[in-house]
Amino acid sequence: MGEQSRMTLLFISRLWRRALLLVCLLLTAPAWSADILLTAAEDGAGVQAFAQALALQRPEDHVIFTPLNELPTPSHLPAGTRMILLDLPGLDWRLQDTQGPPTLVLRISRLQANQRLGKNLPAKISLLWSDPPLDRQLRLITGILPQARRIGVLYGPDSEFLLPELRQYAAPLGLEIVPQLWDNTNDSRPLQALFRNSDVLLGLDDPQLYNPKTAKNLLLSSYAQQLPLVGPNAGFVKAGSLASTYSDQADWLAVLDRLLDHPPASWPRTLYPEHFKVVGNPQVARSLGIEQVDETNVAARLAEGEKRP
Amino acid sequence: MAPPQLTWAAIRNYQGRAVYLGPPPRSSLWLMLLCSGAVFADDLFLDSQPLPQVLTATRLKQSAAAVPGSMTVIDSELIKASGARDISELLRLVPGMMVGYISGNQATVNYHGTNARDARRMQVLIDGRSVYRAGLATVDWSDIPVAMEDIERIEVFRGPNTVSYGANALMAVVNILTRSPANSQGSRVKVTRGERGINDFYASQGVGWDTGDLRLSMSGQQDDGFDSDAVGADRRDGRRLNRFSLAVSQTLNAQQSIEWQLNAKEGTNQRPYTYTPVFAGITEGGDNSDVTAKDYSGSLRWNFDFNPDHSLYIQGSAQQWDRRQVWKACDAKVSFSPELTRLWQLNPNYAEKLARHMDAYSQGTAPPGSAPEQALANQVLDQWRTGASQSVCGDIDQSTRESRYDLEIQDTLSLSDSLRLVSGMNYRYDRADSDTYFNGTLDDTTWRLFGQLEWRASEHWLLQGGAMYEDTHLSGNSLTPRVAVNYLINPRHGLRAVYSEAIRSPDMFENNVNWSYRVANLSSPTYGQNSGQYFVVTRGPGNLDKERMKSRELGYNGFFADIGLNVDVKLFYDEITDMISSPLRNNQYIASNANSSRFTGAESQFDWRMSDADRLRFTYAYVDASSSNPLDKAQTARNSGSAGWLREWGQGWSSALFYYGDDALNQYRFERVDLRVAKRIALGKANVELAGMLQQRLDNQPTTWADNNYDHRQVLYFSAELEF
Repeated sequence: MGEQSRMTLLFISRLWRRALLLVCLLLTAPAWSADILLTAAEDGAGVQAFAQALALQRPEDHVIFTPLNELPTPSHLPAGTRMILLDLPGLDWRLQDTQGPPTLVLRISRLQANQRLGKNLPAKISLLWSDPPLDRQLRLITGILPQARRIGVLYGPDSEFLLPELRQYAAPLGLEIVPQLWDNTNDSRPLQALFRNSDVLLGLDDPQLYNPKTAKNLLLSSYAQQLPLVGPNAGFVKAGSLASTYSDQADWLAVLDRLLDHPPASWPRTLYPEHFKVVGNPQVARSLGIEQVDETNVAARLAEGEKRP
Repeated sequence: MAPPQLTWAAIRNYQGRAVYLGPPPRSSLWLMLLCSGAVFADDLFLDSQPLPQVLTATRLKQSAAAVPGSMTVIDSELIKASGARDISELLRLVPGMMVGYISGNQATVNYHGTNARDARRMQVLIDGRSVYRAGLATVDWSDIPVAMEDIERIEVFRGPNTVSYGANALMAVVNILTRSPANSQGSRVKVTRGERGINDFYASQGVGWDTGDLRLSMSGQQDDGFDSDAVGADRRDGRRLNRFSLAVSQTLNAQQSIEWQLNAKEGTNQRPYTYTPVFAGITEGGDNSDVTAKDYSGSLRWNFDFNPDHSLYIQGSAQQWDRRQVWKACDAKVSFSPELTRLWQLNPNYAEKLARHMDAYSQGTAPPGSAPEQALANQVLDQWRTGASQSVCGDIDQSTRESRYDLEIQDTLSLSDSLRLVSGMNYRYDRADSDTYFNGTLDDTTWRLFGQLEWRASEHWLLQGGAMYEDTHLSGNSLTPRVAVNYLINPRHGLRAVYSEAIRSPDMFENNVNWSYRVANLSSPTYGQNSGQYFVVTRGPGNLDKERMKSRELGYNGFFADIGLNVDVKLFYDEITDMISSPLRNNQYIASNANSSRFTGAESQFDWRMSDADRLRFTYAYVDASSSNPLDKAQTARNSGSAGWLREWGQGWSSALFYYGDDALNQYRFERVDLRVAKRIALGKANVELAGMLQQRLDNQPTTWADNNYDHRQVLYFSAELEF
């Protein structure tokens, strides 16, 4: 046992020396002198895996991840860098300077952007939305529940701004949006009122409404009314929602790959990922007497629909 | 071309100084380990918040097309639109359900038929707790301690299902589900007033906190019942009752939750005075035999979700039914003669013959009979001649107190995506206290083991089978199987074939009754006593066997999603053998398993949401009954059904029109049209609903029995409800 731990210590110290050597080599250039600079306040396994995958995806680019607290202000970064922000603190950091490298912001929802930025989109920043696009979710509903016409939508003060857009998308699909304010999640009366007048519920990605605390009551009471919930995200499908569209790392890598191939000047100000998947909950579908969601087929059909003008 | 580089393992601050060198921090390793179990582990773009899996394999139910039997759900919309004040009235919406009345406050509900006066073959549950009376084995529909306004929905399983619901679920199961406290928030006040003395109220308050919810409700009900009896005299069958209900649900942690309820009800049910003296020449009597009814119940349920594929609950409940019924009876003093009592025990027919013609026999000698009979009869006649013919009055106490304690464990295990096992055990203790019926106290214990397996053999085939073993202290043990096959044409359309066996244990009354009247507070001393035992004594046989039912069913359930139409059709062939069908009467009650019944026919229900504003609903049942005891088919209407049209007119106006009809329930036709018109008004955050309800009888017949008549064929009542 003792022998083994001594061996481990030896091994670690050798590793450290090698790492030191590597670092000394790297020190010759600042860490952020990259073609593509990723940053996030939190440096978890997911962030690391993503940075690694992006680097593999773009072997011709110098891809670097640097934690946020180790970056200078944005204007101090080389102009040729393209920045990718992986969380909201990153955006706050980026917003402190109007100058700075062109930036793609990932993992930001419409709702978060609206809270932080309102309607003003800062220059040189592209926001890549993390929440499933509303029209895609609506078309998912028409795809898997062709009879549903009244789309019940719970909204809070934070998500209310999405309603006009939702109505705009719903109209050409022949859907009616039935909105219901739910400003106090301890009071479930608005749910009951909404359930009576809806054929299906569409979840908006509003964490005030859809969170681990509300999930049980929401899902159990809508299920009691035999009312399926679509959305708000992939995580909820596992909890008991019927289906949702979502984009995972592979989808985002594809999206980024395309964007990074183009000059930053041509980047859109905001963008929903054109790559996505569909996830369904077969057990919930079965219990509600609904055909199983054929995830691949439905996603392909939705994608096909989006290609048409 | 620069090689791909990653620098997370060699991090520097922006001044270029190395500040940390080494392997990734341990915390992120832990994170990776923790996340490795999750489906979307390590994907930055998939929501990482730890959501509980709510609709798990153990919580999800079969779709309507896959239910192993026939089911009718009366949802909250129907409950409200019907304007019904009683659960029994709601059951008119269920095809094949025969709803009748013994009196205004005594509904009898039978599925398909049998037993004219007491519905003993149907299981009735409130939130999983059986409200079937422990001793007398009836359901007092009017006394069930639950307000209509607290009911979320009623699920009626049409057919035997002892495997899932235990013995007594012989012909059908009525499962009343109350609104969960979480869905009862805010305040509700409702007042109903109308003709026939209708005077109801309901008030409830729901509150929620971080980990739980509570609902408290109080309600009351009052009406005059029917107006006149068969001879046109005033019918004494009004009622007045008050209820209290408290329901709490509490989440303990992510896996555990508890739910508990307390319910109480007190009230008075009027009963007409029906005592007719046995002996000639008695003119005195009482004027009523009203019942004071108090019901109490409490239940506690503990839910434990081990994981999404395995859950368990333990439910314990205690209930008490108090029926206080004391009335004045007058008869000749000879009623308490110890010799007449002995004579009755020797030969009830002889004793009755003597008693009915006492005056005639007292002129001569005892009627012909055996020597001991004649000897006793002559002694009785001597007493008659020497003053026992005088009238005496006293109090008859027919009160009962019944209690039930029930403990159930049920385990649901999803073995795979296509295999689910529900199993459990149940212990029940029943006790009945009644001097009149049981000469004291009688108790019984029941153990049950049950299991049901659901196997989805393929996308189209679903097999469900199970069995229940029951052991009852008073009537032995039994095993009942149940098998169902569903063929799903697609998820919304299914065909089913069901075979099931069911048993019903004889209840304490049928098997063990020890029925005699002790009359207290006699108006003058009789046989030297101020109280006496009435000479008529009836005893149950004590060795009754269980009733057996075999049921076969073919059915179809389909939902036509594009037009919003739900259809259920069922063909059935049910046989009951070893049937105990003797009426519960105290002179010469001879119970046996000698009878049998057979019910065949078809039932259908259509529920059509024509548009967002309109809903149409039809039910129809054709039942052909044959039985060895004619009384057992008197409660079967060959044709029965309902039709309903619910409409939202906009601007808060809504209407509901219902027709209910059956031909010849106990030989009396029943047809009624109900119209409810309501207007909803929003007052800021509050809502007011004003509703008017008109019930119009289309026939001119009594309701079920000749004594149940109304002066007018229509009744009108109004309600006002405030929600805030």
